[in-house]
Amino acid sequence: MIEVNNLHKSFVSKKNTVKALDGLSFTAKDGEITGILGPNGAGKTTCLRTLYGLLRADEGYATIDGIKVTEEPIKARKLLGIFPDKFGLYERLTAYEQIDYFASIHGMKGANKHAAIEQILIDLEMTELAHRKTVGFSQGQRMKVTLAQALVHQPKNFVLDEPTRGLDVMSTRILRNHLAKFKEKGHCILFSSHVMQEVAALCDRVIIVSNGKLAAQGTPQELCDLAGEKQLEEAFVKLIGSDEGVAA
Amino acid sequence: MMQLKALMVKEFKEAFRDRRALMVAMSMALLMPVMIMVMLKVAIKEAVDNPAVYVKYSGEQHAPKLIEALKDENILSFSDVPKDEERNWNERNIELTIPDTFAADMAAGKPIELTLRADYNEKSLSTPIRRIKDVVNQHSLAIGYKRLLVRGVDIKLLQPIKLLEQDTALPSSNAMMITLILGVYLMMAAFMSGLPVAIDSSAGERERNVLEMLLCQPVSTLKIVLAKLSCASSISIISIILMLVLTSIAMNFVDLTKIGATFSIDAQTFVILLLLLIPICFLAASLQLLFAFQAKSFKEAQSTVTMLIMAPSFIPFALMMMDDKPAWVEWMPISGQSLLMEDVFKGLPIDWNALLFTSVATIVLTVGLVLILAKRLTSEKVVMSLS
Repeated sequence: MIEVNNLHKSFVSKKNTVKALDGLSFTAKDGEITGILGPNGAGKTTCLRTLYGLLRADEGYATIDGIKVTEEPIKARKLLGIFPDKFGLYERLTAYEQIDYFASIHGMKGANKHAAIEQILIDLEMTELAHRKTVGFSQGQRMKVTLAQALVHQPKNFVLDEPTRGLDVMSTRILRNHLAKFKEKGHCILFSSHVMQEVAALCDRVIIVSNGKLAAQGTPQELCDLAGEKQLEEAFVKLIGSDEGVAA
Repeated sequence: MMQLKALMVKEFKEAFRDRRALMVAMSMALLMPVMIMVMLKVAIKEAVDNPAVYVKYSGEQHAPKLIEALKDENILSFSDVPKDEERNWNERNIELTIPDTFAADMAAGKPIELTLRADYNEKSLSTPIRRIKDVVNQHSLAIGYKRLLVRGVDIKLLQPIKLLEQDTALPSSNAMMITLILGVYLMMAAFMSGLPVAIDSSAGERERNVLEMLLCQPVSTLKIVLAKLSCASSISIISIILMLVLTSIAMNFVDLTKIGATFSIDAQTFVILLLLLIPICFLAASLQLLFAFQAKSFKEAQSTVTMLIMAPSFIPFALMMMDDKPAWVEWMPISGQSLLMEDVFKGLPIDWNALLFTSVATIVLTVGLVLILAKRLTSEKVVMSLS
């Protein structure tokens, strides 16, 4: 379970101050897929970075399965599988070596580790890529490697920052099925996306962030009802456009 | 422990697969022995050869035999000077005046006065002047001996005491210079060989967006720093071992005794040099990582980290200029090692206490830098320059 409580975060530079988070709170429960929506610059990535412990909130806190990220970052990160907004590959390693590297960092070893890596390679349909050096991989292939390294240790909680950008239809479907499986097993999945159909199809709950604050939350249907629209996209535009009466 | 192993395995894999960076790292090791050998050859040639000296004679026609004797020692007339050296020798202006009465006085057995005019304070003239004096004295003695011989006198009577000279002086200035350069070069190799790897694994990883992902993982920044440090310093250690082996092979091809140097890399010297340089490798890698992580981009890292080259090249020269060395330079990192290396090259016995002190000081400084770096990697500033 991921809990975010009253997060405030400002970036101060010489010229100006940007308030990225302004009292954001939400909860992503176990056994649910929680979508986090928001326009560009709404504070999604800042919020997720605070979750990983890369940034420190000015106020408020984030917990992962009850562990405060700021206090025990390493313990908290052990419970996380992360797909960051910016990612790169170690281009001199093969895909297999890179996944192996992250699995080892998460404390996996021996036959267990190899079985897990083989499994994730099969699950993401990337066995053919496994022993190639990652230099020259296409965007989709790079995404797959990054996803594999986030999922290989089967973390209790997933944080995925736009995991489907650049994936082809087949890969997106594989990923969706994969996430659905993890959900059934009781994992907590938090992911951000700009694709409304995907969010509507996949998410049990949706959190809409705007200007660093929670603009609305609920099931996709509840959000549509709240905004009085049929499509989630329309509802989203309406909800972030006016925060009157919907900041529930 | 397992995490650290995984981190290190990955660093080494990446470093050894980056052939270009590896070539740069090893190029110093490969070039150094060649450079040292060429320099030594040139120095030996200068020290041993008799370069031509050009003298402005007046009245040379009066003493053809003396002129011949001078010519045998490569002391020539100014009229024969090649065009490109004419200006030099005109400035040096060595004049030898032979009186008109030379032949007559010689025949009469009267003393003859030759005049040698030159700037005796000018350092570059000291060897030519000495050589001219030697030839004239030899020539004069030879004539004297012959005169005595024809009168039936044993010339040994003129030499009741014979002085045998044995030179125990320190190596000549050329040899000193070369050992100093060798020291500086070894220090630079220790300092610079790991540089491409250090920059690539810090600023490079940041630019390729893989550092952010690593920092999100459940691993302490100390382990990350240690893995990167051990990889970069291993590369420089390999490089200096390679360099020492090649240099000791190269040394077999030059005869150092000709210039009064007695330097060779035997097993003991080899071990001592390694003991001195390995802590430097670690210190250098930690400094490079610190600077490279500070930089905003790969390019900036390259330029700022390259400034570090000042430390190993400047300190030994500064030490050479210092006449009264304060005690602390003996155990300060870099300066301590370079002083000890100087001793090794001079063939002096090694001061083990100083070696221990300076090594400990270097290692303590390295540990400090590693801790600072590990702390910095948890700060937001490092993360913010990611984006």
